[in-house]
Amino acid sequence: MNLLVFTKRVPATQEEELRIIDDGNKIDLSKVPFKVNDWDNYSVEEAVRIVEKIGGTVTAVSIGDSESDEVLRRAIAMGAKDGFLIETENILHDPNARSTLIYNFLKKEGLPFDAIFTGVQSEDDQFAAVGGILAAKLRIPFVSMVIGIDNIENGYAIVRRELEGGLQERIKISLPCVMSIQTGINEPRYVSIMGIRKASKVERKVLKASDYQENVENMIELTRWVYPLKKEGATLLSPDLENACKELLNILKEKGVYQ
Amino acid sequence: MSYALVVAETRRNIFEERNMDSIGLCSLMGKDAFLLIPFGDYNVNEQYLNGIIKVKVEESMFLNPVVMVNILEKIMASHGKPYLMVFTNSASGTELASYAAGYFNVPIITDVSAYDKERGTFSKSYYSDKIFGEFKPSGEGTFIITVRSGSFKENLCDRNANPSLEIVEDVETNTTRTFMEFVEEEKSGIDITKAEFLLSIGRGTGNNEEVAEYEELAKLLKAVISGSRPVIDKLWLPKTHQVGTSGKTVKPKVYLAMGISGAFQHIAGMKDSDCIIAVNKDPEAPIFQYAHYGIIGDMHKVRDKLKEMLKEG
Ligand SMILES: Cc1cc2nc3c(=O)[nH]c(=O)nc-3n(C[C@H](O)[C@H](O)[C@H](O)COP(=O)(O)OP(=O)(O)OC[C@H]3O[C@@H](n4cnc5c(N)ncnc54)[C@H](O)[C@@H]3O)c2cc1C
Repeated sequence: MNLLVFTKRVPATQEEELRIIDDGNKIDLSKVPFKVNDWDNYSVEEAVRIVEKIGGTVTAVSIGDSESDEVLRRAIAMGAKDGFLIETENILHDPNARSTLIYNFLKKEGLPFDAIFTGVQSEDDQFAAVGGILAAKLRIPFVSMVIGIDNIENGYAIVRRELEGGLQERIKISLPCVMSIQTGINEPRYVSIMGIRKASKVERKVLKASDYQENVENMIELTRWVYPLKKEGATLLSPDLENACKELLNILKEKGVYQ
Repeated sequence: MSYALVVAETRRNIFEERNMDSIGLCSLMGKDAFLLIPFGDYNVNEQYLNGIIKVKVEESMFLNPVVMVNILEKIMASHGKPYLMVFTNSASGTELASYAAGYFNVPIITDVSAYDKERGTFSKSYYSDKIFGEFKPSGEGTFIITVRSGSFKENLCDRNANPSLEIVEDVETNTTRTFMEFVEEEKSGIDITKAEFLLSIGRGTGNNEEVAEYEELAKLLKAVISGSRPVIDKLWLPKTHQVGTSGKTVKPKVYLAMGISGAFQHIAGMKDSDCIIAVNKDPEAPIFQYAHYGIIGDMHKVRDKLKEMLKEG
């Protein structure tokens, strides 16, 4: 089984204050730390588990600047055989542009695969669209929100996809296909700094995005960035810890959930 | 090319409420809305629609991306290309929409929560709602939007007329992907949807060892513990304790959220709680926009202080 896994380096913005600069044209991420996209971490783990069980190889692919090599090394440390970096300084906001770039890369390099794994979405832009667009361009079937792979063998896979409210559906899908993996499908293994260092010795091919530009164009245009509309928002309790906790307990009493 | 094609999301013969946001967007944009829906006994709010197109396939086929593109192809052959196609931004909607965008090579903007009529731009969330990008399709031609649940319901516009009805048959099938069965969630002891007071913890909890400390706090407060998705993904709490679109929808008297940022999939599951209290160290965390009360600070310190006060009585 040859599995291609796409992995992305994203800014970890959960605890950061983000600033819009250049008249709404840019978000300042210069002080924000970066990490692997959470969804991709699960997706790499799932691919590695499959080849550990039934044999084959996992190849990791990332699109981004040279720093994105970090997520490839990480994937290799988890068990991928090798990695490709499609290097570009441009941030491709449009999922169509990204999928077309990947499509051209796959056609030109002729990488063999039985399945392509992506995360359901990337944390930064939450488009949740690259996997589906890519599958359709390749004219192969697609499944998203994959929360369990019950069986994968020559020719097909049986997978469970997550719907809503805890409900899942089991489907059968022919290979090759594209699967977008949901968090929680497995418990990703711990990756040590040592492991990542060791992975540096494994070859990662660096390719230029400019070699795969045919039909890569932005089909959507970003006009500006804006902050969310502020609603009235929460009434803030005291900045003093003790007082804040007292106030909190009073609210609980008032609401009748605590005596 | 002026109509909007709204692709319905149905689940086990229910017409999902979130379709109303897809139709609401069409009202806001001033486009005639034609609803595409599997043939069956669905309870549809017809007064907002110009037309209903029923497709004679089973629901599971309709919701299958490799079949949906055949359905769309057929519709476009007979009706012409729509101005836009609208899907829900959810488990089935995003799957169908992205596949259709690739298949027909058309622009797509997902998770849209606002539309600016003057500028013709669609807002989509970035960084879990910390920033929004205003996008528009470049050039002319059909494009695809997926709509965030709850965004456009109030824009619905009653047409005071009955929609036209059409039935589509002989859809080409595709067996490269087939539905097998639904898998229900296993039931466990506590039903968090019945709790009056939920203490809900998020990724800010940090690690598994800390979880026990929050369970102890919950016990002292006589609250039931629940969590955001990462907490369940990491197996810190059982799946049945997850709040959000892919977990449970809860409406307790008090929802105390600690270390939860407020992504829309989480908010959708708790926003109707009587009283929401958020503890987060990031003053910009989106959850403060939904909470009634907030504490900006370290959740662990708040936890320890509360425990100390509760133990003293
Ligand atoms: C298809 C799909 C379905 C999904 N379904 C769900 C769902 O049902 N439920 C759900 O919750 N999510 C769901 N998600 C995931 C959702 O998008 C978010 O990723 C998730 O809700 C984030 O959880 P969080 O707020 O706990 O973590 P984060 O977003 O990482 O936020 C952690 C927060 O903790 C704060 N924090 C950190 N340390 C401290 C501290 N010491 N003191 C105080 N605050 C601290 C940070 O400031 C931050 O705001 C779904 C996603 C997808 C794509």
